[in-house]
Amino acid sequence: MQTLREYYPHLAVYPLSENTITLQFGTSISADILSQVTKVNQLIQEKPFLGFITTVPAYSTLTVYYDPLQLFKSKLDGLHGFQKLSNYLLSLPVPDYQSAETNKPPVIIPIYYGGDHGPDLDEVATMHNMSDDAVINLHSAATYTVYMIGFVPGFAYLGGMDKALASPRKATPRTAVPAGSVGIAGEQTGVYPLQTPGGWQIIGRTPLSMFDVTRNQPSLLKAGDLVKFEAITESEFKYYQTI
Amino acid sequence: MQITINKPGVLSTVQDMGRWEYLSQAVPISGPMDSLSARIANIALGNNKDAPIIEFTYSVAEFNVDAPVLIAYAGEGAVLKCGNKLLPPNRPLFIPGGQTITLQNNGNGSRTYLAIAGGFDVPVILGSCSTYLPATIGGMDGRALRAGDVLKGKDIFTALNQVLIAHLSGDVIAFRKWSVSKQALGLNHTNTIRVISGPESSWFDQASVNTLFNTAFTISLQSNRMGYRLEGPKMQRINSSELLSTAVTMGTIQVTGIGDLILLMADCQTTGGYPRIAQVASVDLPLCGQLKPSDQIFFKEISRAEAEMLYIEQEQNLQKAKAALNARFL
Repeated sequence: MQTLREYYPHLAVYPLSENTITLQFGTSISADILSQVTKVNQLIQEKPFLGFITTVPAYSTLTVYYDPLQLFKSKLDGLHGFQKLSNYLLSLPVPDYQSAETNKPPVIIPIYYGGDHGPDLDEVATMHNMSDDAVINLHSAATYTVYMIGFVPGFAYLGGMDKALASPRKATPRTAVPAGSVGIAGEQTGVYPLQTPGGWQIIGRTPLSMFDVTRNQPSLLKAGDLVKFEAITESEFKYYQTI
Repeated sequence: MQITINKPGVLSTVQDMGRWEYLSQAVPISGPMDSLSARIANIALGNNKDAPIIEFTYSVAEFNVDAPVLIAYAGEGAVLKCGNKLLPPNRPLFIPGGQTITLQNNGNGSRTYLAIAGGFDVPVILGSCSTYLPATIGGMDGRALRAGDVLKGKDIFTALNQVLIAHLSGDVIAFRKWSVSKQALGLNHTNTIRVISGPESSWFDQASVNTLFNTAFTISLQSNRMGYRLEGPKMQRINSSELLSTAVTMGTIQVTGIGDLILLMADCQTTGGYPRIAQVASVDLPLCGQLKPSDQIFFKEISRAEAEMLYIEQEQNLQKAKAALNARFL
C-alpha cells in the first residue's frame, strides 16, 4: 500500500496552532479535491492516533485537532508535536479503494419557494428575465454537492447551482433571516440553519431543521453529501412543520 | 449547593472546557475566554477539569448564597466581596447560607470565573456544558444568566471537594492563606502577546509584518466572545490570492479585505476565508481573554516549537499545582 505522502505527492502540510495541523490538497474547489479530503478524513477517523481530537474538513484542506501533551509524550518520530504528527500522517497507508460515499443517494430538501418564505423570488426572476417558475425549476433541477460545513453550525457550502441563477447579494442585508431560508449569493446557494442576519437573496424556505442538537448528527448535511431541492406547496410546508 | 443570581452583570454564561466533537459541523468550541483562570478556579476546589464554571464579564454582578457552599474564583475582571469583606481569589472559600456576594471592579481585566464544588449542574449539549449564544445551546437554556436564575451544583464530589468542605465548614466565611499561585503558573500582567507565524503571513509585505510586531493595536468596541477587531495600521497584501474557506481557531489573527486585523476568540466560527497572518501562542490566549475595548496590545513573534514548549510547561505547572493541593489535603 502507498503512504499518504506517495498517494498525494502534491499534499502540503502546515501547522495552524499548537494543537492543529492542516493537510492541504490543492487551492481550488473541485469534486476531485473534495473526494481526497473526504477519503483522508475517513482514514484518520478510522485509525485515530493517541491525542487525536477531531477534524475540520474544508474545500481543499483537512485540519486535525490534537492534544499536544499526548503528542509530546508519544514515541512518534520527530522533535515536536507538529513534526511527529506530520511524519505520522504522511506515512499512513492509504487503501486503494474508491470511497463508498460517492454512490449514495442525494439528501432531499423540500422547499416552499416564494411568498412570505421567499421574499426575493420575484426580484431574482426579474433580474434574469425569467418567470418565478423558471427560477424554481432551475434551482430544484440541479444536484448539489456539499463541499464543506462552516460559517455557522450546520451551514452547507453547496456547489452545482445553475450559473443562470447567479445573483448579487442584497444591497442592504436583512437583520434577521429565519432559519431554513434558502438563499442565493453570487454563484452560491445555501440554507440558513439558524436565524441570523444575512444579505443573500431569499427565494424560499425549508421546513426541515438544518441543525438540531437533539439529533445524533445535529447538522442535516455533511461534507461530501449530495443534495436535491424539491418544490413543495404551502400545505405540505405546514404538514412538514408538524412532524 | 446552589447560588441565585441577583444581578447578572454585562454578560455571564456557564462554560466548561469547550465543545470539541462537532467542529466538522461548524459548531464552535466556545468555553472560557481565559481558560487558565477557569481551570485555576476548578483546581482550587479540587474539581475535575471539565466542571462547569460561570464566566462573569466585568463587575456589577451579584449572587446570593442561600445555603452553605464551597466556591472559588479566579480571573481579572473583579474581586468578590461579602459586604465589606474581601474574598481572596485562587483558593477555596466556604460561605455559610444567607450571604450576598458582589463582584467589584478590580480594574485589571475583564473576566472572572466562579467555580462551585462539584461543578454547576447544567445539561450536556453536544458533549459540552459551554454556552454558545448565537445557536442558543449549552449552559442555562443556551442563554446568558438572568436575575433570579438558580444555579445548582452537582452533588457528586471529588475526594478533595469532600476534604475541603469538611476542613472549612462552619458558621462563618472561611478560607486559608494558601492559594494556587498564579505567578507560578506563568501568567503575568502584560499586554505583549506572543504569536507564531500564520499560514498566509507571506501574503503580506514585509513592512506590514514589521508593523505588526512594532506597533500597538487597540481592541475595538466591536469585540465579543467571537473575536476582537483591532484598530491600528492596515496590513498591505503583496498578492491578490483568494483564500478558500479553511479552518480557523481561537487565537487566529485574520486580515480583512481592507487590511484590518481580527483576533478570533472562544466562540469563533470553525472556518474562515480571510488570510491568517499570525496565530496567538496558546499560553497567551488567557491574556487575550482578559482584554477589553480600548486596551492596547503588542505582538511578539516566537517559533512554533517554542510556543509548544511553553504550552507543555504550563500544562505541567497546572498538574503540579493540582498535585500540591492533593498532597496538602489528601
